[in-house]
Amino acid sequence: MEQKNVFSEPVKYDLTFAREIFRLENGSYIKQCMNCGMCAISCATRDVMDYSPRQLFNLIKLGKKEEVLTSNTFWSCTSCCTCKARCPRGIPIIDVMHDLKKYAIDHGYTNYPQAAFYKAFWNEMSVRGRMFEGGMTARYFLIRGLDEILKAMDMKDVGIDMLKHGRMPLLPPKKIRGLGGLKKIISKAQELDRKEAR
Amino acid sequence: MRYSYYPGCSSEATAKANAHSIEGVAKALDVQLEEIPDWNCCGATVASGVVGDFTQLVVTARNLAIAEAKGQDVVTGCSSCYMTLAVANKKFKEDEHFRTMANEALSAAGMQYNGTLQVRQFLDVIYNDVGLEKVAQKVKKPLKGLTVAGYVGCQTVRALPYEFDDPEQPVFMDRLIEALGATPADFPLRARCCGSSSTIPARDIVLDLGYKLFESASSGGAQVMVTPCPMCQLNLDAYQKLVNRKYGTSFNIPVLFFTQLMAVAFGLSPEAQALKYNIVSPHGALLQFAK
Repeated sequence: MEQKNVFSEPVKYDLTFAREIFRLENGSYIKQCMNCGMCAISCATRDVMDYSPRQLFNLIKLGKKEEVLTSNTFWSCTSCCTCKARCPRGIPIIDVMHDLKKYAIDHGYTNYPQAAFYKAFWNEMSVRGRMFEGGMTARYFLIRGLDEILKAMDMKDVGIDMLKHGRMPLLPPKKIRGLGGLKKIISKAQELDRKEAR
Repeated sequence: MRYSYYPGCSSEATAKANAHSIEGVAKALDVQLEEIPDWNCCGATVASGVVGDFTQLVVTARNLAIAEAKGQDVVTGCSSCYMTLAVANKKFKEDEHFRTMANEALSAAGMQYNGTLQVRQFLDVIYNDVGLEKVAQKVKKPLKGLTVAGYVGCQTVRALPYEFDDPEQPVFMDRLIEALGATPADFPLRARCCGSSSTIPARDIVLDLGYKLFESASSGGAQVMVTPCPMCQLNLDAYQKLVNRKYGTSFNIPVLFFTQLMAVAFGLSPEAQALKYNIVSPHGALLQFAK
């Protein structure tokens, strides 16, 4: 006879991943989440997210590293701050999302186009201390390759409009004079950041 | 009234109209804006996703460190710059450990910041320092009969919630629209997100959110939209055509910086109105007011 009272295997919690995430700059806030779901109903991009922020925090607590790092949740966050303003537990959710983006990039989870965009943005701004959108876009497409260029073909109308209306300079702005100093500040900040994380 | 001015990178490219109209409006209202010398990119809300919040805030704070020598509050016309500068500033003021660490990093270039300044959005300066009475006095061509959706967006009011307006139902913009003689549209989504920098990596996010915003604004009777944010302006103006293509709609709503609308109402020069940078033409809607 078929046995009905089968107990499922106990869930094995592997806290290694969770502890690593909790150590990120804003990571420890995740522990405060009480799963109310305010972030989910507030989020402007919840429709396209694999998991709502609340669900993502749960997965982190459960140690589901792959599910977390391959999800599009943090990449879909636009930093609109609605969840941050509303969270009854005071979790700076967008800052946690920034941490997760950095963690994903640092650990090679860079399949989403946003990862390429973020890297292109940072590289472009650190070259001259100011952002040149043309350069950033070029860097982005270099990382993403021809497919993405073809997909973006209907963007050419936007590009033409921008050119016609004088909003897309073809030459980058000058480097800032203090670029050398800025680079020193950046490497010192990163050194301190690494020390702090230890 | 004197301020240190942080123009931000978009002022040199996609949002020239913002820079020109802020300059014109500030002059008309006797607000002196002195550009922070050799300012650098604030990193928006993107840099921290690559190098972490701490490094990003320190990079941003370089601008505050330079501005501190003059002792004038820092004003910016960009929501994203406002958010990063204001959040960094608050950290310097309130978090001693952060201040010590950040100053150690800044000292690599012989700089430091003591947190003595305030960071302000230009909209906040207009409303709280200049005052709407003075704005109303400067109006030469009241925008009578024009219905305007005041799109405040996200970061202007939610970077530091409640520090200068309600984070979800802000009222500053609508009061300003009234002071210019126009009628604020009933526009419940005034502080919802436009999709921000998703335009390049995930365009549909911007098109879907843009559709909702246009729908809300136009059912409120809006003839034009105004915003304080270069990212919102870019997404709603340059991508309106793609929204129409995706949704089969025919929105034709000019999206202006609020300072452009002020320049029109003040009767300032075409340079200050900077309407030539607008992609969805505002000339129809503003025909009777613009030169």
